Amino acid sequence: MIDSDKFGELVEKLHTLLGSDYVTVQQTDKVLNAHDAWPLSEAKIRAGELLPLADIIVFPSTTREVSEILKIANKFLIPVIPVGGGAGTCGGTLAIYGGIQLDMKRFDKILEIDETSMMVHVEAGVVGVDLEEYLNRHGYTSGHTPTSVRSSNIGGFIATRSGGSMSSLYGKIEDLTLGLEFVLPSGEVIFCKPVPRHSVGPDLRQLFIGSEGTLGVITKATLRIFPLPEERRFRSVSVKDVSTGLEIIRKIFRAGISPSIIRLYDPEDTAFSVSTHFDVAEGDCMLMLAFDGSTSKNDLDEATVMEICIAEGGNDFGAGPAERWWNHRFDMYYPSPFTTSGYAIGDTIDVVATYDKLENVYHSMKSAMEAHEAVVLSHFSHMYPNGGSIYMIFFTAQPDAESAWATYKKIWDDGVAACLKEGGTMSHQHGVGLSRSTYVVDELESAFSVLKSIKEKLDPNGIMNPGKLGLEVRK
Amino acid sequence: MNDEMASDVRMCAACPKMCRHVCPTFFAWRSDAPTPHGRALLLHQEIKGVRELDERAIQVLYQCLECSHCLTWCKPEIDIASIVESRRTELAEEGRQPTAIKDLVSIVRSNHNPFDEPHSKRLEKLELPTSKNPDIVYFTGCTSAYQEEEIANSTINVLSRLGFKVALLEDEWCCASPLFRTGSLEAALEQANHNVEILNAHSAEKIVVSCPGCLRALTIDYPKHGLEITKPIYHISQFLDMHRDGLGETDPSIQVTYHDPCHLGRHCNVYDEPRRVIESISGIPPSEMERNRENAMCCGNGAGLRLMYPDASKKIGRERIEQALRTGSKLLLSTCPFCKNLLKQQAGDEIEVLDLVEFVDKYTKDVN
Ligand SMILES: Cc1cc2nc3c(=O)[nH]c(=O)nc-3n(C[C@H](O)[C@H](O)[C@H](O)COP(=O)(O)OP(=O)(O)OC[C@H]3O[C@@H](n4cnc5c(N)ncnc54)[C@H](O)[C@@H]3O)c2cc1C
Ligand code: SF4
Ligand code: SF4
Repeated sequence: MIDSDKFGELVEKLHTLLGSDYVTVQQTDKVLNAHDAWPLSEAKIRAGELLPLADIIVFPSTTREVSEILKIANKFLIPVIPVGGGAGTCGGTLAIYGGIQLDMKRFDKILEIDETSMMVHVEAGVVGVDLEEYLNRHGYTSGHTPTSVRSSNIGGFIATRSGGSMSSLYGKIEDLTLGLEFVLPSGEVIFCKPVPRHSVGPDLRQLFIGSEGTLGVITKATLRIFPLPEERRFRSVSVKDVSTGLEIIRKIFRAGISPSIIRLYDPEDTAFSVSTHFDVAEGDCMLMLAFDGSTSKNDLDEATVMEICIAEGGNDFGAGPAERWWNHRFDMYYPSPFTTSGYAIGDTIDVVATYDKLENVYHSMKSAMEAHEAVVLSHFSHMYPNGGSIYMIFFTAQPDAESAWATYKKIWDDGVAACLKEGGTMSHQHGVGLSRSTYVVDELESAFSVLKSIKEKLDPNGIMNPGKLGLEVRK
Repeated sequence: MNDEMASDVRMCAACPKMCRHVCPTFFAWRSDAPTPHGRALLLHQEIKGVRELDERAIQVLYQCLECSHCLTWCKPEIDIASIVESRRTELAEEGRQPTAIKDLVSIVRSNHNPFDEPHSKRLEKLELPTSKNPDIVYFTGCTSAYQEEEIANSTINVLSRLGFKVALLEDEWCCASPLFRTGSLEAALEQANHNVEILNAHSAEKIVVSCPGCLRALTIDYPKHGLEITKPIYHISQFLDMHRDGLGETDPSIQVTYHDPCHLGRHCNVYDEPRRVIESISGIPPSEMERNRENAMCCGNGAGLRLMYPDASKKIGRERIEQALRTGSKLLLSTCPFCKNLLKQQAGDEIEVLDLVEFVDKYTKDVN
């Protein structure tokens, strides 16, 4: 923390730049802006604990303002923590070393749809659902519909390499982002112009996509858009175990079919999420699918997929479970008396691996996490031709805060260690933030030095979101 | 703040912001402070003894429109508007209301309207009906009396056209909706007691109101505090719906959209009646905005917001106008003088904004 004279000077400079409405040092604002949707922060809030606070929050609305803020922060050597929708699940926006929270919510303009090139230009603070509704009105979809679509914004999606529920067909945000405007820690504004593909050295866009506020600030983006599909058709099939389900999924991709949704629920998650509404044999797994496209294309794809499923001994459940999941997909994220009672805490470790490793990652993680008396429910979702992700969801309830937070950490530590040991990667879409920061070196191994060198070069004073992504961790 | 509310704010305080996208004050300020979960977090910390409400926290509570849009999107059905109102009531008792609200209270106490207009001029702009033995008391509400007199005059016209004998009350006082909503309970009950007395004493059998704020006050707030009005109370849209046949016809080529006022829709559950009236006179249902009925966006003019934060209020109103414009309608109808007042101001000449009763009065040809 800087001394009070300098702090006064800093606040004055920010006031001059942004106007008093868009700079706050009020304790109430800091408390309300402190947390994202990291389950540990949420549990601590319920328990009445205070989270680390920023010293100042600023709400710029132009790229020039962002650039000036970063120049000022560099001069005062004060941390800058970009805030998007504030609904990340990894504590990425927590001001663990104080500093300036740079809140991007006023970057809220949808600039232009380009129907010729099928893309949309947007500011980084546009909330996901606002963009999606806007595009739908014009007959398009972004194809990016994560369950945080109502609370997260475009900059947050890009900063965390977010993945929508239909990424099997449309891709993740890193596939959907064609162009970027980005402010480097020095305040310099750079552009990665929208191009479908290129051959001009490494793709610099991809350096900033997923940088979680540690390399600078995303101010604008150009995203791909798609015509709204003529229909979205749901189908569900129960299978006898996870192995069979994964075999079916591999075969679907080998047949050249990309359903928009592919979700395979393990026996525990099937019992919890599906059997409560449908009559599924005990121990079975539910495979949920959706097809986006024209009726004739969906007819063909669905028929081929059903042939594969039946050949593998699947039982047809019709549209039911998949459609129900789609219609209720937000429900599980609301607080309930059960999930918030006492010191209950749950979280999701969303890992990813190729098919050769996926099942081992699942089994190893499950036993490592269950060793801490956690209830573990899992599903495989966001599947691709070469592999896919697993949502390892856990719940634990402990008698007091200390043991609850400690158990939570042990489940994470051992879960991630098991994932890495089996050759998986520790996050598919939620990012690193603070919750996975300590595992980054193990995940990236020798490649971490590259990330570290880039960070040191671009942000020599280490002002950008210190402590996240395993970078600039201070004692 | 009771135990149930305390357990609700505990849950809401750490919700992953599942309804924030519809909160109009989040829309206006683009910050995590004036949000449903933000308000809950402040109250949770206070209950837990972690942090007292400071001045800014009180501001955040008073920035709530009490529109209940968050409730529509809340699976555990946490009613932030009621929780906020309950804490506002305690703040009033503690003498910690914002100055603008304290001023409002003393204005209503002395003039019986929130606009600082003399009480003696309450009926000055209205075309008073002369009927003897009236069968309806028309409780105009302050906005129709002082600021949107076209609504009051159209109401008198339409009710008379339907064959009713209408009485207005020279001594009508503010229904106290703005006082209830801002937590000023004591002053609210003063107004309420007076109104109950004169309404119950009147010989007419029914009461019709223009303003959903009045409807909610008379039918929900008064009884909650043991004050019963002994005759049926109808919002004008409900009353017109009951007498649809006599309303005449409009030109069906006039495309109309309808804005659900929060107090009428979410708070009094009146959604179908205004729509039936529109359909019956124009032959076609209103062109719905994307956000309609339980999911309608607030106009921005509730619970003292416009008084304290006019810019935020206007921004919200303007957004509602944008939503109305997207329907391609020529007319935006509301059933609340308060909504109309703000929406009209924000519409400029891009779309005509009228109350439903004005539409009936001015746009219909009498079929007889
Ligand atoms: C209910 C719920 C459901 C979810 N479902 C999904 C899902 O289906 N798929 C998925 O991928 N994720 C999901 N998430 C996780 C989360 O929403 C995503 O990770 C999302 O991308 C975070 O975006 P945000 O705008 O909320 O970012 P924030 O939480 O505000 O920030 C996340 C990180 O990005 C940085 N950042 C934000 N904006 C910028 C910017 N403009 N420039 C530079 N850095 C920036 C922050 O500093 C922080 O490190 C879910 C979360 C919740 C609460
Ligand atoms: S009102 Fe309901 S949905 Fe909204 S933040 Fe609170 S708990 Fe979440
Ligand atoms: S009642 Fe309306 S203004 Fe208040 S928190 Fe809920 S949505 Fe926001």
